[in-house]
Amino acid sequence: MEHAIIAKDVHKTYRSGFLGRRQTYALRGIDLAVKKGELFGLLGRNGAGKTTLLNIFSCQLLPDSGSVSILGTDITKHNYSRVKNRLNMCSGSPNFPWSLTVEENLKFYALLYGKCGRECAKTTSYCLETFGLQEYRKTRYDQLSSGNKQKLALAKSLINDPEVLFLDEPTIGLDPDIAKKIRTFVQTIHREQKLTIILTTHYMKEAQELCERIAFIKNGQIQAIGTNREILDITHARDLEEAFIELAE
Amino acid sequence: MRVILRRRSLNWLSKTYAFAYRNYIFAKRNFFAFTEILFWPIVGLLSVGIMGDFLNLQENTLAFILTGAITAGVLQVVQLDVSYSLLYDIWSKSIKHTFLAPINQFDYIVGSWVVGMLRGAIVFVLLVLFSANAFAFSMPGVLPTLFFLTGVFLSALIIGMMVCLLILLYGQRVEVTAWSLSTLSMLVSGIYYPVSFLPKPFLLFAYLIPLTHFLEYYRAWYGFPPVFSHSLLTGLALSGLYIAVFFALLRFAFERARRTGMILRLSE
Repeated sequence: MEHAIIAKDVHKTYRSGFLGRRQTYALRGIDLAVKKGELFGLLGRNGAGKTTLLNIFSCQLLPDSGSVSILGTDITKHNYSRVKNRLNMCSGSPNFPWSLTVEENLKFYALLYGKCGRECAKTTSYCLETFGLQEYRKTRYDQLSSGNKQKLALAKSLINDPEVLFLDEPTIGLDPDIAKKIRTFVQTIHREQKLTIILTTHYMKEAQELCERIAFIKNGQIQAIGTNREILDITHARDLEEAFIELAE
Repeated sequence: MRVILRRRSLNWLSKTYAFAYRNYIFAKRNFFAFTEILFWPIVGLLSVGIMGDFLNLQENTLAFILTGAITAGVLQVVQLDVSYSLLYDIWSKSIKHTFLAPINQFDYIVGSWVVGMLRGAIVFVLLVLFSANAFAFSMPGVLPTLFFLTGVFLSALIIGMMVCLLILLYGQRVEVTAWSLSTLSMLVSGIYYPVSFLPKPFLLFAYLIPLTHFLEYYRAWYGFPPVFSHSLLTGLALSGLYIAVFFALLRFAFERARRTGMILRLSE
């Protein structure tokens, strides 16, 4: 089966302080391959390196060494710009231009992906409808509830019909009913649009419910990778929560 | 081939329009953007004009300093719009989403500059009308004025690009340059005085700033001979050079920001 993402020996260190003397090792030799159309979960403690890895995959961060291929394009080289058209990202606790309404925000991002005129209007209204944001279309972003902000973030992440979607803790801090709706949206778009989705989450139940395969990251390294069943077998745990505790220790 | 070119042009126009659209909405909805157009430029013009009256300046000398006040108002508004191309995103912590899209430095700079020029043109017309009524100011002619205004817009573009470059390199702590760089460049380019009055070591800096040449070109129409020769041509040549260099530097700064994680830090 074809792979959407192939990462080989990826390293990333953050440097800060005077002359970059303080170093934080975020990733230490990540090897990962995600199949096209797969819903893949990245789990790990805070600071384990999940978000750094997603940021590298989404072309926002350059690794220090190693190679990353997204949909056949090596994004560590200079010709990565075109592949950006084929991916998108949704973060938990999202932020968008606060003066713009929901509709204007979606229009802004649609235009950024080269959709203009009728195509832009069609995409915007499709996203508003799909995520139940029609009644908030004239509401400014800073006046939205957390749940609706998250829905907008998801709507924005589909604005360019991506082939690969990165979801960075999409249900963090949301009420259980809204979180459930978001999970249903994710399942639906994955099923209907055959998207490759990489999801990071702290909720084991969410990972168990959504992900076909999971990788556990600890201190910038992959500790375990496999299906739910395989992870439970490796760790001799009863559920993912127990497996998480076992692997995080 | 023609279809590909057409699609690429539409794609670029769409991305450029995105930034123009966003800047326009911000300008429309935020009170501070309104004060940038009306309040500060008129306050600046009034204080300079009244000072001119008090000093009993001759008509052409008064025109000299009023040109400076009008330029200051227009330059600041236009360069702020270019600087806002990144600052709006930084203030709303959404810059990572913007740079997640397949955009480049031409898209966000040109899109924001277009709105800046519109706002700048409004400021220019208002200030000229106001100074004509209040201080009997008159323009030398349509063509020289259009050339001059183009020069001011280009100067503002360069300053705005420099602000964006500094932000990408050093982060939000240098956002103050959005307000200070233009003031500094006005000081050296002889905004209210001929550059010959500057201390000798500053003359070279004055020569290197395109705004100096555009001001000299316009003021020559009021009878003030330029200190440097070929004002308009020199101003345009320097502007072209700086714009090309800054576009290349912005590209470099973005790749550096991608390596250091600056874009992500600006979103936190």
